[in-house]
Amino acid sequence: MRQLLRVYRAIFVAEFQAAAQYRVQSVLWLLFAIIRPVVFLAAWSAAAATQGGRIGDMTISDFAAYYVAVTLVSQLTMSWNAYDFELEIRQGKLSPKLLRPLHPLHYSVVENIVFKVATMPALLPVLVLIAWTFQARFATTWGHVLLFVPSVLLAAALRFMFGWLMATFAFWTTRVHGIMHVYDRLVFLFAGQLAPLSLLGGLASIAYWLPFGYMLWAPSEILRGGASIDQALGMIAIQAMWLALSWLGFLGLWQLGVRQFSAVGA
Amino acid sequence: MRYLRLLGLFARTELQFALEYRANLALDLFEELIIVISSLVAVLILYDHTSAINGWTEGQMIELLGVYYLVQGAQAVVFETSFERFMEHVRMGTLDFILIKPVDSQFMISTRHVQVPQFGQIAMGVLVLAIGIAQVGGGFGVLDTLAFAATLACGLLLVYSLLLVLSTLSFWFVRVENLLAIFWSFLDAGRFPVDVYPGWLRVTLSTVVPIGIAVTVPAQAIAGRLELAGVVAMIGGTISMCWFASWFWRRGLRSYTGASA
Repeated sequence: MRQLLRVYRAIFVAEFQAAAQYRVQSVLWLLFAIIRPVVFLAAWSAAAATQGGRIGDMTISDFAAYYVAVTLVSQLTMSWNAYDFELEIRQGKLSPKLLRPLHPLHYSVVENIVFKVATMPALLPVLVLIAWTFQARFATTWGHVLLFVPSVLLAAALRFMFGWLMATFAFWTTRVHGIMHVYDRLVFLFAGQLAPLSLLGGLASIAYWLPFGYMLWAPSEILRGGASIDQALGMIAIQAMWLALSWLGFLGLWQLGVRQFSAVGA
Repeated sequence: MRYLRLLGLFARTELQFALEYRANLALDLFEELIIVISSLVAVLILYDHTSAINGWTEGQMIELLGVYYLVQGAQAVVFETSFERFMEHVRMGTLDFILIKPVDSQFMISTRHVQVPQFGQIAMGVLVLAIGIAQVGGGFGVLDTLAFAATLACGLLLVYSLLLVLSTLSFWFVRVENLLAIFWSFLDAGRFPVDVYPGWLRVTLSTVVPIGIAVTVPAQAIAGRLELAGVVAMIGGTISMCWFASWFWRRGLRSYTGASA
């Protein structure tokens, strides 16, 4: 364990130095993270305005709070490792990593955390700006804040594991861009980017049964105070269940994949 | 005429290239289909809860989505990859080989890598547009059609001019993909009419990153919501923007000295 911590610290330092060289790049990724929630926030606000200020039980200010939370959560839970993994397989860079004593997963854990820490200072003022433009109103209590922490951590872990699950397919297909795009669209439809799950109409009942909502929607609802404490606890339990399932799935697939993996371009 | 033939030639070679990876090609088309369908679902869900958004009815919003994929598809077919390759050429110093070809260099770098598979997006754009038109019902006049065609062409030229200006910057700053990435990130906002956005975003989408105008104005035209003055302003703006982009390109070309020479 101590050994692992020492290794982690070393990768941390290296990754931070690397990240510091690509500051502009990080800000750009931020832009991608912000535009989509703002687009749908604007659409829902305009729709609510035509309906006399509210849709269902949500007012414009509730939508604003929800989408500010979604933006924060999607940044905190972002995972792009599948794309990197594909590149590493295609360029034959994976093989040396497989030979190291540490699972490649650990490197991307650190890279992932560093990116989030590095972009947070730039994201927060933007969130304040959005909240102010749309007059967001949060119904958050201290209980919600407390529950938000484990919920967003679980969501990040879940998204990360799903990213790796998708990435593992590259052992067989080499290219995972296609799979990742389809996955991104499922997230778009069912994770709460397009609308809070309760507004999905006929799709809502499917969405509650899929893992995607527990990557974005659940922590966002908790953060804006849209779920009661009991509901929040239930969401967290489901998140934990999905995380366990995806972890098992990943372990199984990874083992199968590594066994039949033959390096490219070496 | 000669340039049209060249364009056909570019398309043919690129198609042959794409056909080498057939499974990938099929997957690309499948992906585009999924993207378009999920966007359509998004519109349907929104209109489940309201009858209009800022005066846009459901049918009109679907028309707008169709125009969005038309514009997006057209720029992906012709310009997107070409400009990416162009910037790579500047960095690697291989641009010289393009410059010495007996073809207008602006034409060459803008259209060399025609992406035939992306025609799928255009086709789906047309389909979505047709669904929208069917839903709105009622005919539209010759004038509306003309206005639509004119503003759509203008919208494409506006997007093209912006891409050309951004790419030209690579003569001075070697790494400008980042600037293009800004453009891609705003592209997503084109799926709704610019008038739903708050001030700062609306201004950005109509001036710096004109994707908003490029999509919204033609959609307004087909919905019969556009005044003649709007068409004239759009055409005027496009001509001056094209002129500026072309001038800027020539200016950049003059200061190009070749890499690693």
